[in-house]
Amino acid sequence: MMGSAARISGSVADRLSPQSMITELMEIADYISHMRTEIAALRANEMTRDRIPMAHEELGNVLQATAGATNTIMEAAEAMLALPDDAGYRDSVEAQINTIFEACAFQDITGQRIAKVVEALRNFELRLARFASAVRARDEGGIDAREAERQERADRLLLNGPQPNGPATAQDDIDALFA
Amino acid sequence: MALDLSMPILVVDDYQTMVRIIRNLLKQLGFEEVDDASDGTAALSKLKNRKYGLVISDWNMEPMTGYELLRHVRADESLRTTPFIMVTAESKTENVIAAKKAGVNNYIVKPFNAATLKSKIEAVCGA
Repeated sequence: MMGSAARISGSVADRLSPQSMITELMEIADYISHMRTEIAALRANEMTRDRIPMAHEELGNVLQATAGATNTIMEAAEAMLALPDDAGYRDSVEAQINTIFEACAFQDITGQRIAKVVEALRNFELRLARFASAVRARDEGGIDAREAERQERADRLLLNGPQPNGPATAQDDIDALFA
Repeated sequence: MALDLSMPILVVDDYQTMVRIIRNLLKQLGFEEVDDASDGTAALSKLKNRKYGLVISDWNMEPMTGYELLRHVRADESLRTTPFIMVTAESKTENVIAAKKAGVNNYIVKPFNAATLKSKIEAVCGA
């Protein structure tokens, strides 16, 4: 019993010795220096100032271009449906079809815009993965209240959204359920 | 029994392009009376003010989803027999089964074509 107490007392004394305190403080200083390097490598200011606004803007442009092209295509199709069955029918249809072809050019531009956003996301992913690994980050258990509310609504109302590789259940299988 | 082309149809979707697509398809099929609403709440209000022969609804809308609209319609004595077709990208089996249990008459997965829409309307409204 006395031996154990002496060993504990000796261990505390070792830990509190000036030399061990200096060693510990140097380790802490090294860790802080390492953390500062990793935080700097994350370049959070650049992400929030440049890359995230760029991604927002590019995706906004994609939405706008997609909506604009859809509207043009729909208008052309509706115009064709309303054409009178007369001698000028073919010429009128060809003119509307050319409008549709032109409107489809949006896909080239939006493809390039989406590629820029994908590249920015890949960059975030790499930086965050490196940072999480460097600081040995662990995820906290909880999620914020708004996200929890959104998730609860999605679960309750079965809001699964479109599936990644097309419909999860084929129309024929659904039809069988209603036969 | 032939389709009643004069029956009013309510299309419920928050995506205006989809409303336009369905409107055009219905027009092609000969339906003239097509109304629309952008979510379940707006649809319910319209349904209480006019008798529709068919509701064609999306699932994922805010604030009221098509699934909630379906349950409201089936729980309302004056609306419960209104034919209801779900047209949605929600394609998981649990969605289809939940909608069927809630009383949906038919279910179409997006993207769909005119022939599918026509066949479901005929099946539900009797052609």
